[in-house]
Amino acid sequence: MNREVLVIGGGIAGIQASLDLAEMGFKVNLVEKLPSIGGKMSQLDKTFPTNDCAL
Amino acid sequence: MLAYSEVEKVEGDVGDFRVTVRKKARYVDEGKCTGCGACAEKCPTVVSDAYNMGFANAKAIYRYFAQGIPSTYTIDAKACRQLGQGKKCGVCARICQAGAIDHKQEDQILEMSVGAVILATGYELFDARRIPEYGYGRIPNVVTALEFERFLSASGPTDGHVYRPSDLKARNALPEMEKAVQKAARDLEKYEQRFSRTSDDFMAQFERESLEGDDYVKWAAQVKEHRSLAAGLAKAKEVVEKMHGAHRIAFIQCVGSRDIRFNRHCSVFCCMHAIKEAMIAREHDKEAEVYILGMDIRAVGKGSEEYRVRGAKEVGLRYIRTRVAEVTEEADRTPVIWYEDTKERIVKKIPLDLVVLSTGCEPSPATKPLAGLFGLEVNDFGFFKTKASSPVDTTRPGVFVCGCAQAPMDIPESVAQASSAAARAAQVLSGSEPMRLASCKEIG
Repeated sequence: MNREVLVIGGGIAGIQASLDLAEMGFKVNLVEKLPSIGGKMSQLDKTFPTNDCAL
Repeated sequence: MLAYSEVEKVEGDVGDFRVTVRKKARYVDEGKCTGCGACAEKCPTVVSDAYNMGFANAKAIYRYFAQGIPSTYTIDAKACRQLGQGKKCGVCARICQAGAIDHKQEDQILEMSVGAVILATGYELFDARRIPEYGYGRIPNVVTALEFERFLSASGPTDGHVYRPSDLKARNALPEMEKAVQKAARDLEKYEQRFSRTSDDFMAQFERESLEGDDYVKWAAQVKEHRSLAAGLAKAKEVVEKMHGAHRIAFIQCVGSRDIRFNRHCSVFCCMHAIKEAMIAREHDKEAEVYILGMDIRAVGKGSEEYRVRGAKEVGLRYIRTRVAEVTEEADRTPVIWYEDTKERIVKKIPLDLVVLSTGCEPSPATKPLAGLFGLEVNDFGFFKTKASSPVDTTRPGVFVCGCAQAPMDIPESVAQASSAAARAAQVLSGSEPMRLASCKEIG
């Protein structure tokens, strides 16, 4: 069985899934179409419901 | 991690997918670039900054955002003078101390074999231009919620100050206008020296006696141009002098969602997003009048209802139950919202400084091509199809989905679902053969 995973999309969901799998010991290939990962969430200033900083 | 890359081809099946990925040329060597930014400082080509929703400028060699990972710079090949327009330039290559610039770099095709795939392709915001009565794209002081987010951000195009975009545009245009007026004045000086008289004096005579001769006609045209440019500049200066922060702000909810013309589904996060932005706008400006106009406030999720109540009671937000009919604009660029007050049953209007559209969540444009590549089904709303009993399993074994690629959801739910998709992928990859088959059969 191949123990590598492909995650397509480097937004908050893709990053979280990648980190979880990496912690479990799988090799993760994270593919993002833009020059930097972060997705839409990186464009947010603060997040609800705590008004904490998003970055 | 492969940033600036896209999946091109998929073969094989669960346990053994063979995937072809195109790693697009950045024209910058990732191993050498230190991310110092000297290249972007000197690059002569100014482009609109996508990260700041076009409200700031970037250069043709850019980093998507300051804290972006990887921090390698990228050349926008279309905008670049050398790559896109075939001109001689190479300023970035000369300035780069690390020697990282490589205008000859080509796309790389990479093959990888993986046991499972997770789709986390996110969403696209509804294009508010599709609702012309709200005036987005036509009325400058109507913006989307994500654009407003950038205004609120201390690292955004306005350093966290909220102004009317029309005023900002006027302020940013001033230097160019001043230059144009100065150039026109210099042109006039040449005529004045040649004929040893002032332009005003000449113009008065020209209009009185209709002087003949090419030079006089040209001179008169120059005078007229100078006068119109100077008048434009004076008017723009007046606007900028009166410029003040946006005090009256209204949010219009369900722009492109819960609307049978566009998307029937609810976009889930926009209500709370609007309340958050409204709260922060009040934090920036205690005097701000902030309205949220919508059919209802859908405060789903942990802590959301309490947040909505806090918005009204402690922060002083005003929620108005309605469906906004139209946004019009007055001569001084004030946008006006027209709506029916459904409690009093009368049509009302509110003049504002800024209208923020809570644009809905639509399937990412990448969804359809990827569904084709992987042979997946999409649901009626255009998102990857899953079952309620197995919300991260797509219609194909070994391919999972999480976040807004599956359905609109907020950040905590995306994170929870991402962990769930990771767990499912791990199950498939590490389970013994019968277990794996069992888990795949469930969705088959």
